[in-house]
Amino acid sequence: MILLFIESFHISLSAVFANKTRSMLTALGIIIGVVSVTMMGTLISGLDRTFENSMSWLGKDILYVSRYEWFGDMEWWEVRNRPRMRPEYVDKVKERSKYALAVAPVMQRGADLSRGEKKTRTEIFGTNEDYMETITTNIVQGRFFSKNEDRSGARVTVIGNGIKEAFFGETDPIGEYIKIDNIKFRVIGVLEKQGKFLGLFSVDKQAILPIGAYNRIFSKRGWMRLSIKIPENRIEEGVDEISSVMRHIRGLKPNQKNDFAINQTKAFEKNYNTLKLAIGGTGTFITLLSLIVGGIGVMNIMFVSVKERTREIGVRKAIGATRAMILGQFLMEAVAICVLAGLIGLSISYILSILLNQIFPSNLDLVLAMFSILMSIVVGVVSGVIPSYKAANLDPIDSLRYE
Amino acid sequence: MALIALKNIYKIYNVGGEEVRALDGIDLSIKANEYLAIMGPSGSGKSTLMNMIGCLDTPSSGFYQFEGEMVQEMNDDQLASIRNRKIGFVFQTFNLLPKATAQHNVEIPLIYGNIRKVERIKMAAKALEDVGLADRMHHKPNELSGGQRQRVAIARALVNNPSIILADEPTGNLDSKSGHEIMGILDQLHEDGNTIILVTHEDDIAQRAHRIIRLFDGKIIEDSNIINK
Repeated sequence: MILLFIESFHISLSAVFANKTRSMLTALGIIIGVVSVTMMGTLISGLDRTFENSMSWLGKDILYVSRYEWFGDMEWWEVRNRPRMRPEYVDKVKERSKYALAVAPVMQRGADLSRGEKKTRTEIFGTNEDYMETITTNIVQGRFFSKNEDRSGARVTVIGNGIKEAFFGETDPIGEYIKIDNIKFRVIGVLEKQGKFLGLFSVDKQAILPIGAYNRIFSKRGWMRLSIKIPENRIEEGVDEISSVMRHIRGLKPNQKNDFAINQTKAFEKNYNTLKLAIGGTGTFITLLSLIVGGIGVMNIMFVSVKERTREIGVRKAIGATRAMILGQFLMEAVAICVLAGLIGLSISYILSILLNQIFPSNLDLVLAMFSILMSIVVGVVSGVIPSYKAANLDPIDSLRYE
Repeated sequence: MALIALKNIYKIYNVGGEEVRALDGIDLSIKANEYLAIMGPSGSGKSTLMNMIGCLDTPSSGFYQFEGEMVQEMNDDQLASIRNRKIGFVFQTFNLLPKATAQHNVEIPLIYGNIRKVERIKMAAKALEDVGLADRMHHKPNELSGGQRQRVAIARALVNNPSIILADEPTGNLDSKSGHEIMGILDQLHEDGNTIILVTHEDDIAQRAHRIIRLFDGKIIEDSNIINK
């Protein structure tokens, strides 16, 4: 039986190669199907990695309290009239919440940084000494500022790795001065290098100031959020508690809606999953469609092949081929076309994934590659079975007479 | 015991409500190492009889015994197996696979007989040698002359060492010189002990056989032995 299998394989390959153009045109649908299923997988796994990497910067145990929902379907006029977050909420929250392990206000604005001739436009953040507990990044040089430095309005700053590289290169920045909007700040620490968030913007070009100095020099108003760290196993209770604390601070009556938002990384995940589902759905749809079209093409070409080789079938039967052997031969031919198409599709995907890797991490997954070949085999069997059955049941006498 | 025994064989077709008797009560027995020619005008049933003997067709009624096996009771796969092991076909139009070499064409019956590759190659080479094509083994049919193609077909028929060789107008598509060569090979095969059944409508071809059967309207009308051969 193995002998026959090898022989069938041999016959079918030579049949496929004898009609290269026809076979490949036929298989185009399957090539597209394989490319789409593998690229979809590559895209999703690449996005997954990017997303997980980016999400690891936002702690799972951190609540971000601000005016806006990250992903909301609130009408803008409802949100616009909400009161701003204020720096004094920090102490109020700390005082009333038993879950809040750390509460950091975060204010943010654009500013011009300079040192001597070197200048750059970047984002600056005003926060307090709790901030380091609400982020996952570490200090790699120097230290973060203290509560006293914050309260006293000391002009000190912790800079991102990008600023350090741009302004100081390899030299030690600690104790040196930079200017933020032309006001001198002493560098006391450097943050570890992070890369781009969701591949969109670099977070390495930033400067963090104590909120005391920030408020005095830049503004007390402006966009602000609270980053609140809560115990990892008490997230739900934490959210409920912070919500009621905020309602209390805002003096809301029971029938009034929240006029603030408590955001979590979960919100990102939910949206990301929706995106993933959309990519997966589209990819699956394209894959199925092209496989159906490809399968019909293969079936059609197999009918032609059986018709063309009626006489050959007659001869083979006359010299002793059983039905099963003829069936196997033609089935194998259909599978061979599909598998070859699958391999071509995989090569295309491989090249595409290398190109895509320039933009974000993407590798052709081995399991997915094997799955797509399996998929090609299935399409080959399904589309080959009817023509092969027809071939197997041809009458040897009629086939031998067929012109 | 007869190699082949046909008893009271009928093959009846229904064409447009009308009964056509392609074979109408055939009794025939063939012994090993006979050299038999089947003759008859077209429509006389000689093709049907040949298909019947070649186990490509089964009778509507009657008994067909091939080396003691009851052919009329066999299913498709059993028929395929008996064709593979016991019958060598030689066709008028050669019926070689155009894309395969002579060697590979001769190997095909062995592949269906599930014979190992090493042995297969040896047997095919031997068969091609026997028909004088040792130097043409790796040529494809379109690189061979008509006579050479028919010799490949004979090698293919021989390779399984069958009980009978069934040749259907083997010289019909050949010029007279090639035809003579082919008949020479068949004569030689007979001398070597093979049983040969020839279907032809040419008298001089039939005269080479030792026994001639004439068919008309599905019946045997003459069965003569040519003694002085």
